[in-house]
Amino acid sequence: MIDKNYAQPDALVTTQWVSEHLSDSGVRLVESNEDYLLYDTGHIQGAVHIDWRADLQDQTIRDYVSPKQFAELCERHGISNDTTVVFYGDKSNWWACYALWTFRLFGHEKVKIMDGGRDKWVGENRHLTRAVPHFVRGRYTPAAERRDSEIRAFYDQTLAHSRAGQALIDVRSPGEFRGEITHMPEYPQEGVLRGGHIPGAASVPWKMAVNEDGTFKSTAELRAIYEEEAGLMRGQDVIAYCRIGERSSHTWFVLTYLLGYQNVRNYDGSWTEWGNRVGAPIERG
Amino acid sequence: MEYPEKLAQIVSLFESLPAPEKRESLISYASAAGKNAPREGESFDLEDVRKDEECTDTVGVFLKISSTRACEFRVTLGPQVQTLTKAMTSILCKGLAGCTPEQVLEIPADFVPKIVGADLVRQRSQTVYYILTRMKGITRVWLNRQRAALH
Repeated sequence: MIDKNYAQPDALVTTQWVSEHLSDSGVRLVESNEDYLLYDTGHIQGAVHIDWRADLQDQTIRDYVSPKQFAELCERHGISNDTTVVFYGDKSNWWACYALWTFRLFGHEKVKIMDGGRDKWVGENRHLTRAVPHFVRGRYTPAAERRDSEIRAFYDQTLAHSRAGQALIDVRSPGEFRGEITHMPEYPQEGVLRGGHIPGAASVPWKMAVNEDGTFKSTAELRAIYEEEAGLMRGQDVIAYCRIGERSSHTWFVLTYLLGYQNVRNYDGSWTEWGNRVGAPIERG
Repeated sequence: MEYPEKLAQIVSLFESLPAPEKRESLISYASAAGKNAPREGESFDLEDVRKDEECTDTVGVFLKISSTRACEFRVTLGPQVQTLTKAMTSILCKGLAGCTPEQVLEIPADFVPKIVGADLVRQRSQTVYYILTRMKGITRVWLNRQRAALH
């Protein structure tokens, strides 16, 4: 647990906490990265690999797997409904937060993030192994349906949200927000036809929520960023988006677990849907 | 078009491997990527060191062309470069060694899925073609300069 006055301090654990729970049968470590082969080069002992695209997304339709497929994935990794799942990964936990958000989409309750992610663990010279763990198969009862209505926003809902002047947070880089580029710096253009942002959105790049070492900033610092500067207020219905929904799941985690916002949704269609959609309103600058 | 002999051997090896061993081989190539850096005292005909928007860290590509027009590539990689890019670096430095500039430019990119697998290409397309593109780029610059010098 990390005491920075977070709304849900149990949602964040330190690398030390993780090292003390490596043999805890009720805890499963999940590594989720952008770098697809990074897990194979070495990972925390007992960690399993879940890939955002290969494991969590449907391979044909742009959507997530079904509750039944999700339950099968969990069982394969020795995860049961009551297992505490601790996520960590590269890129300051982008994909770890995305995986956590997806687990919540399927109703998994006990979820945590290892603060600072993989880089912090490695930076502290903690042990990595290439041994892939094998666990007794879990017992996972699939949710009746995904919680799409609670924590996920779709295009039509986001459009209505924008038209109603409700809180929208664009977590992409400033250049993407202004419409100068359609991809994040250091990444290739991946098929977005228009640049800009959703009308009414406030620009709060995801990176503002983390320190240099990838750990999350304190509650006071986060409130200054999201409330004093961006104008969010607790109790508001907030939608966050980015390009494909991974950076915005990081912000979703911050707003939901660290600042205690009750109604935050991640628009995972994000700019790759909005910027390609015929007739979608766009603001630039 | 046929692949250059060394590259063809690597492609053939990867095609014969089941998925887990293919992945192990990629890790092995990736872990050896540092050995492709320029060695002390080496000189090059062209150097292209930059951090651009197609890769997560700085990549330096160094090209040496012998009197028999045989290419040799050296590559430096920043620490944030992804594992697949590291693997492709080792594979291409080895597979393209000895090719002529014209051969390098003509190599079709369809060998990439044969090495890393179609699934990985689909899931991480941005990382698997980058080094090949950079190598072709520096080779094209060398050839253009050669042709300009001849006219």
